[in-house]
Formats: sequence, C-alpha cells, structure tokens
Amino acid sequence: MNWSRFSLALAAALAVAVPAAVPARVAADDGPIKIAVITDMAGVYSALAGPGAVEATKMAVEDFGGKVLGRTIEVDAIDHRNKGDEAAAKAAEAYDNGAELALDMTNSATALAVAAVAKQKHKLAIVTGAASSAVTGANCNRYTYHYAYDSYALASSTGRNVARQSDGKTWYGIVPNYAFGQQMLADFTAAIAPEGASFIHADMIPLGNTDFSSYLLAAKAAKPQVLGILNAGADTVNTMKQVKQFGIDKVMKIAVGLLFLSDVDALPDVFSGSRITTSWYWNEDKAARAWADRYTKRVGNGLRPTDIQAADYSATIQWLDAVKAVGTTDADKIQQYLDGRQFNDFYAHAAEWRARDHRVTHEMYVVDVIDKSQIKEPHAWFKIVQVIPPSRAFRPESQSKCVKDW
Amino acid sequence: MIAGRHGAQVGVALLALGLVLPFLPGVYIVFAIDLVCFALVAVAFDMLLGFTGLLSFGHALFWGGAGYLATIVVARGVASFPLAVLAGVAYAFVLSALVGAVAVRRSGIYFAMITLAIGEIQYFLAFQLVDLTGGENGLTIATRGTLFGLSLENDRVYYYLVLALAALGTAFAVRVVSSPFGAVLAAMRDNENRARSIGYDTERFKLAAFVMSGTLAGLAGTLYALANRLSSLDAVDWHTSGAIVMMTILGGIGTIYGPIVGATLFQSLDFFVSKTPIGDKTNIVMGLVFAVVILLARRGIVGEILHYLAARRPRLVEDEDDPSRLIPETLVETA
Amino acid sequence: MAQLTPDYLLIQVFNGLVNGGFYALLALGLSIIFGMLRIVNFAHGTMYMLGAFVAYYGAQYVHLSFFAALLVAPLVVGAFGLLLEVTLLRRLYGLDPLYNLLLTFAMVLVIEDLMRLLAGALGSPYETPALLSGVTNLGFTEYPTYRIFVIVVCVLVCAAVYLVIERSPLGARIRAATEKPELTRAFGIDTKRLVSLTFAFGVALAALAGVLAAPDTNVTPSMGDAVIINTFAIVVIGGLGSIRGSIVAGFALGVIAAVGAVLYPPISNTLIFIVMVLVILFRPAGLFGTVERTA
Repeated sequence: MNWSRFSLALAAALAVAVPAAVPARVAADDGPIKIAVITDMAGVYSALAGPGAVEATKMAVEDFGGKVLGRTIEVDAIDHRNKGDEAAAKAAEAYDNGAELALDMTNSATALAVAAVAKQKHKLAIVTGAASSAVTGANCNRYTYHYAYDSYALASSTGRNVARQSDGKTWYGIVPNYAFGQQMLADFTAAIAPEGASFIHADMIPLGNTDFSSYLLAAKAAKPQVLGILNAGADTVNTMKQVKQFGIDKVMKIAVGLLFLSDVDALPDVFSGSRITTSWYWNEDKAARAWADRYTKRVGNGLRPTDIQAADYSATIQWLDAVKAVGTTDADKIQQYLDGRQFNDFYAHAAEWRARDHRVTHEMYVVDVIDKSQIKEPHAWFKIVQVIPPSRAFRPESQSKCVKDW
Repeated sequence: MIAGRHGAQVGVALLALGLVLPFLPGVYIVFAIDLVCFALVAVAFDMLLGFTGLLSFGHALFWGGAGYLATIVVARGVASFPLAVLAGVAYAFVLSALVGAVAVRRSGIYFAMITLAIGEIQYFLAFQLVDLTGGENGLTIATRGTLFGLSLENDRVYYYLVLALAALGTAFAVRVVSSPFGAVLAAMRDNENRARSIGYDTERFKLAAFVMSGTLAGLAGTLYALANRLSSLDAVDWHTSGAIVMMTILGGIGTIYGPIVGATLFQSLDFFVSKTPIGDKTNIVMGLVFAVVILLARRGIVGEILHYLAARRPRLVEDEDDPSRLIPETLVETA
Repeated sequence: MAQLTPDYLLIQVFNGLVNGGFYALLALGLSIIFGMLRIVNFAHGTMYMLGAFVAYYGAQYVHLSFFAALLVAPLVVGAFGLLLEVTLLRRLYGLDPLYNLLLTFAMVLVIEDLMRLLAGALGSPYETPALLSGVTNLGFTEYPTYRIFVIVVCVLVCAAVYLVIERSPLGARIRAATEKPELTRAFGIDTKRLVSLTFAFGVALAALAGVLAAPDTNVTPSMGDAVIINTFAIVVIGGLGSIRGSIVAGFALGVIAAVGAVLYPPISNTLIFIVMVLVILFRPAGLFGTVERTA
C-alpha cells in the first residue's frame, strides 16, 4: 500500500466532501435570539454567579414572554472557567453561532477579554460580576456595558461611609500588590480624602502570601481607627480569620473592600462585624424580596440570590425591552437606544445607562455583616446602614478614563 | 523512531487533516487555531522529553512568556505580525538559554523542579508588573498585526498562516531529531554516562536541545496569544505547563507526531467536555484519562500503535542455505 | 512601614517559625517518600488539603475535636495514601521515576476536583479551638496562642521523626531499605510493607500539617496548590531525601521569608525560588543532600 498516495487521496476526498456536508449557518433573521451567559460554572465564582446566574437569566426570558420580535429567546450557559483566553474563544464562538448578547462575565480578566471580542464582532456584552473599573475606563468600547458594581463604587461607598464618622479617620490598608489591589487602594484613598480621612499606612502584600500575621501585627501597633481589607477571595478569608485570631476586630473597625452574600453564606463567622458595599440585597425592600422568593423557589436549594444573579435578570429584561422597542437585535441601534436611558426596577434604583462611558449607574448599599446569632432568618446576613445615590457611588463622568470609540 | 518507517507519510496525512480541519462539522475556527498552536508546543516539548529525556515542568515559561511579549509589542502600537512574533520568539530564545544554563546541570526530578520553580518566578512577575502585563486582568489587543500589509483579522486566513508555521516548526523538529545531533541526544537519553565517556559534552547538547525546544514553544505561544488577541496569566501558570506535559504523553513521547495527536485529543476533550452537562468535572476526566495512559499505555496513543505494528512485523534472519538472503523468521524450518 | 524595632523583627521570626513549621512538616513527608520510594509526590499538597477536610468534616458530622483530628486525620489520610500506593503507584516502581511523578500529578487533578464537587470552591469554616484561642503575653508582644501551639507541635513532630529515623532500629531498617533494598530483603525484612507504610507515613505528615492549617487559613480544595511548589523548592534546598535538610531548610526558609517580607516586600513570594536557584548553582545536592545517584 503506497501510503503517501493514499494519504493525499484521502486529503483530497475530505477537502471536497466535507465542505459539502457541512450545513449552512443558520440564517440570522429567523432563528432564535440567543443570549450567552458566560460565567464561572464550577469554580470560585460559581456561587456568586454560575448556574444561579443562568437560572436568573432564564427566569427573565420566561417573565418577558419567551419571545421577542416573533422569535424565541434561547439562553446558552458557557463556562469560562476563569480563563481569559477560554472566555475569548468561547465568546467568539457564541457570537459567530448567533448570540446577540454576552452576559455576566464574572471575573475581571474574562470580562475584559469578552469586551474586546464584543467590539470585534459588533455585538453587545453586558458585564455584571467583574470588579475592574477598566471595563468603563481604559478598556471601554461601544459594545460593552458595566452593569452591577466596580471597584470605584465599592471604595466610594464603603470608604465615605466609614470615613464620615468621627472614629473613621485613620486607616491602615491590607492591600494585595496586584492590579485589583492597587486600584482599590487608589479608589479608597480618593474616596476618604474629602471626609478628612487618610491611610496612615498601606501594606502592599505580595501575591501568594497566605499569612497576614506580620501585617496585622503592624496594623495593631500602628493603632488606626479602621482596618481596610482591600483584597479578595481566599486572601480576604485568610485575613479575616487571622484578624479574629489576633483580636484586631476588637480594637478597630473593619472595612472590607469586596465581599458578597455567597461568601458570607460559606463562612459567616469569619466575616461578621465587617462593613461592605453591595449593589443589591435580597431583603432590602418588598420588591427585592418578592423577586428573591421567586428565585429561591425556582432554584430550590434554599439559597438566596446574590446581587450578581439579580443583576443578570435585570440586565436581560432591560436588553429585551430595548430589542422590542428598537425592533432589531442590531447592536449599534440598541446601543444608541440605551445610551442615556434612565430606568428603575427591583434591582437598579434610579438607574441610568450612562452614555459617557457605558457605566450603568444606580443606588449602592453600605451594609454591615450580622453575626450568626442575630440573623432573623436564614441568609439574612446584611443590615443596610446607608443608601448611596448613584451620583456619589460611581466615578464622576469628568474623571472617566474612557476614550469613546463611538 | 519518528512514527516508524512511514514518518513522512504520517506527516503528510496530518497536514492534510489540518488543511480540512476548519471545514469539519462542529469545529469552530478559533478552536482549530488554538489546537494547532498546542500541537506545535507539544512537538517542541517532545524534542526535550522524548528525544533528550528531560522532563520540563515549566514550558509555560516560553509558551506564555513569548505570548506576553508579542501581546505587549502590539499593545504598545506596533501592529506588525512579524515583529510581534519575532519579539516573542527572541524572548523565548534568550530565556531558554538562561534557564537552560541553570537547569541542565541537573537531570530527572531536579530538572523538573527547577523548571517548575523558575516558571513560578515568571508567573509572579507577570502578576505584579501590572503596567506591562495588565496583571490579573490580562492584556487585550485590538489586532493581530498585519503581515506585509495583509490583514490577519479573518480567522480562516490566520488559521492557514498558523498551520503553515506549525508545519514548518514540526519539520524543523523532525530534521533535528533525525540528524546526527538528534542521535547524540537519543544516546544521552538512554545512557548519559556512556555518552559522556565517549567524549560528548552532554551539558552542551542538553542546553542546545532545551533552547531549541523553548524557542519553538515560544513560537507556538506567540501564535496562540495573537489568535485570541490577548495574554492572560493562565499562559504562564504551572497548570499550563502540566497540560503540555499531559498532551505530549497522551500522544506518545519520542514520536514527534504523537504529541500532535495527543494535543488534538486533549484540547478536544477539554473543550467539548466543558460544554456537556458534566462540564464541571472536566478535570476529573482529564486526570483519569491521563492516569490510565500512565498506568496502562505509557507509550501514548501513537506510541502504542507503533509498538503494536512493529511487533507484528516479522523479524528477518539469514537464510541458512543462502546467507546473502534474508527471510522472515517464521518461515525458517526447524528440523 | 512599621518601625523595624528588634521587637518587631522578633515577632517576624516567630511568624517565620510558624510558616517554617508547615514547610518543615511538608518537606519532611515529601523527603521521606522520595528517599524511600524515589517518588516525587506531586499529590503531597492534596494530602495536606485532605487532612484539613477530614478535620472539617469530622467536626461537622461527628463533633471531632481539633485535638482528636490531629490524630485521626493523619491516620485516615495515611490509610488513603496506603491504598493509592498499593493499587497504583506500586505498578510503576521499575520504571523511570518521572512516571510516578506524572501519576501523582494526575491524582491531584482527580482528587482536587472530586473535593470541589463535594465541598464547593469557597471555603469551609473551621474555628480555632477555644482552648487555644486568644493571645499569650510573650513579654515583647502578645502573640496568638494558637500559633505558639503550631510551632511547638511542628518542632516536636520533626524532632521525633528525626530521632526515629536516625537513631532507632526501625529507622535503621528504613534507611537500609532505602539504600540497599536487596540486602535488606535478604535479611528477611519485608521491604514491600516498609515501603507502603513509609508512603503512608509521609502522607500522614502532610495531613497533620493540613489540620494545623485549618483554623488559620481558608480550607478549600485548592489549598494544596499553594503549598506544593514551595514545598518542592524547600526540599531541593535541603536536599531531596535528607531528613535533616528538610527540617532545617523548612524552618530556615520560613524565617528568612518572613523577615525578608518586611525588609523588602516585593521579593518575598519569589525568595524561596531564588534561594533554590542559588543552591542549585552552588551546592547542587542541596544543603544536606548527597550527590544524587545517576539516573
């Protein structure tokens, strides 16, 4: 058997036969309208967004009626596994397969990756679960909106609230020395300055460090009024565990930059007593609670929705409303419709799709994490201490680093 | 033993498959591009493991590091594909020379651990040099750069460019391991002391192999970063180094073409399993497959196939009646 | 930056001893396994993680106290390690040790993912035992009692292991089986069983470290990932297979990293690797190791 001749023949046969067998791409105008929920389905963010976010989106589609412009709406769940390159490839595939909207992108690297793909493909992406304010800053683009929160909003809300008090003027920072931490420190410093407060010191902690004892002891010795814990995830857990071990929460206030309901659900004792900011709380008012009850019943595991899951629902309804109003899924037209539009729903109060940089602004809530012994019902971890209006919560337009490409 | 006696034919067959890959049903073009890049890095890795006997657990150093260099060049405004690739490959070359100089002094487990540790150093650097790399947010770019005026944004066009470069890279690898240089490497792999006693400066040879492997891996990483128009920390993470090891072994070390098959299988499994209902258990599947291969089919898919084929081929022995003739052993009459 | 007073530096030394204690326990287990089986156990960090989870689930379901967990977790994880060794690792003994490295790498993927399915990716809560909570006055500072306990346990365990291996008849048998397996078998000693038990013991040490870590760090399925690379570096610095090397390098690097972190923070996460590279360049066998046998 002459192998080289055989293989060439095989290749030729394939080259001819296969393209003929591949079905033509589904025409865009009469197939279903697809929403791609790109989230972390199984990793560290799966409780914050994950399958719950997919369910929330499906709930929104059903509540909307399941159809728009005469076409059915389909929700696809895509797992980005917290990898930027995977998110980019899967987003490109989703868009090429007919997705008109990419939603969620919890994890800043994936959010920025998908934002770039959205720009390439001229399709919309609404980021809910990522913290990086670069989404509406250096990386802003015509097709991407940032819906829920960002590092600036967290800093300005928590920071101003704590610094306002007479015993909130001197801060000590536990800051991870990477992009998120550096940004948070800058944002918090700026936020507390107008109240006459400042960081007496900030420890820039190298990556990979799990032992915060040295920094916490230094903090104790420095005697600030507030300990600002500006890290995230496992780092925050380790810091808080060690804070309790050294008894630091007994001698100063604890402000945590980034924390979610799902984190407290996992580790209630660790986080009790800290003050944080959230974009929504399931028990904040009647409307929120009503939605949360429906969500919890649908999901069936007794857990309450996080603010990101609620944001995904809200964003979906908003987008579908826009599609209906504009009469097309064309991203350019929807972007023009949304820019500057104001709205109000159970998730976003006094909200606006800000045209300057595609930051969706709304009220933010400063809350205290309640101790396990004092909660009134399961998962009722937060107590709202202040409502921050959107004009103060988010980065002012004048300070935006976004260079508009539209 | 590169794919046995039919090395060239297998290479052509794989190339033919590569030509039609984008047209196969269910294959998304960007996935195909990524796959070819991984196939190339696996080939580069095999040069080191299969043919020199050195297990590097830090190839993400070159794959990811070169990718970052290319991305940074484009991000800084140099929208030129050749320059970006050159920057990445040059970085991989220099880095592999430096790392190799330290690492080849040891072998076996120590070598693996050194490469792992130095890979970690690069990871931490990438994380902390936020202004350069974007840190944990990654670095996205708007274009793949132009190739002498030709735009590369069209995925099909880019795919065939990557395929051509990967084919060249693989051909280079095949040439190297089939050359006298490659023969020395193989001798060193089998018995380093003996090779040294014959007079070969084994460290020099190992370093050369390491640099070649690292540079080729850097080329692969550059093409990958530009394909996705971004670099992220995953590319310099030791788990990616581990993935490269796995795909090469899956395919069959020491066969050059085996790793291509291994990379295809690994990437396909990874990509498609993550879309199924058991998608959250992808790591378990990959780990189990890998464990099974290590325990039961150590030569890898292609390796085991070649071994089976070789075993079936009859051995030739001298014909007693006419010593100038060779006949199959099975035909020899036993009186 | 906090004042670099002698007191503050002394506190750092203590913090370093705590971290160093963990390093020493982990490096010790890894070294013992390597010395005896010539296996580099990539799954060592996973065993550490399993130790922490045994403590967690024990507390959740059978009210296992922390102190009981210090004994139970190593036993449970050790038994698990024994199972892995007998069913899987043993099959690859005749081959290049790199295959066992790769097999243990595959185990990491499977076990960690299974744990993630079971426990979720977020942390599982584990409290400092009441008896050890709070601070103790050491004169120059108040220091968490629990951390002092950790230092004491690590020092005692390392010392005990060292004495057993270097001074006891059992240790002599272990050393003999390591260096001259055929001869040892000729004397009637069941080397296979010794090998299996040694692996189980090495893994048990990792599990002990895991239990000690649980009150202080986030208990998640990926907590082993963070320690395994550092452990490799420590073992190379001390000398693969050297008991003394692992203990000394563990505590020493812990202290060096802690003090270095306050003197020059940016370097601290890579300090261990830099030291490792230097050791390889200037003392290839590690601080206490002997020149490795040719592969």
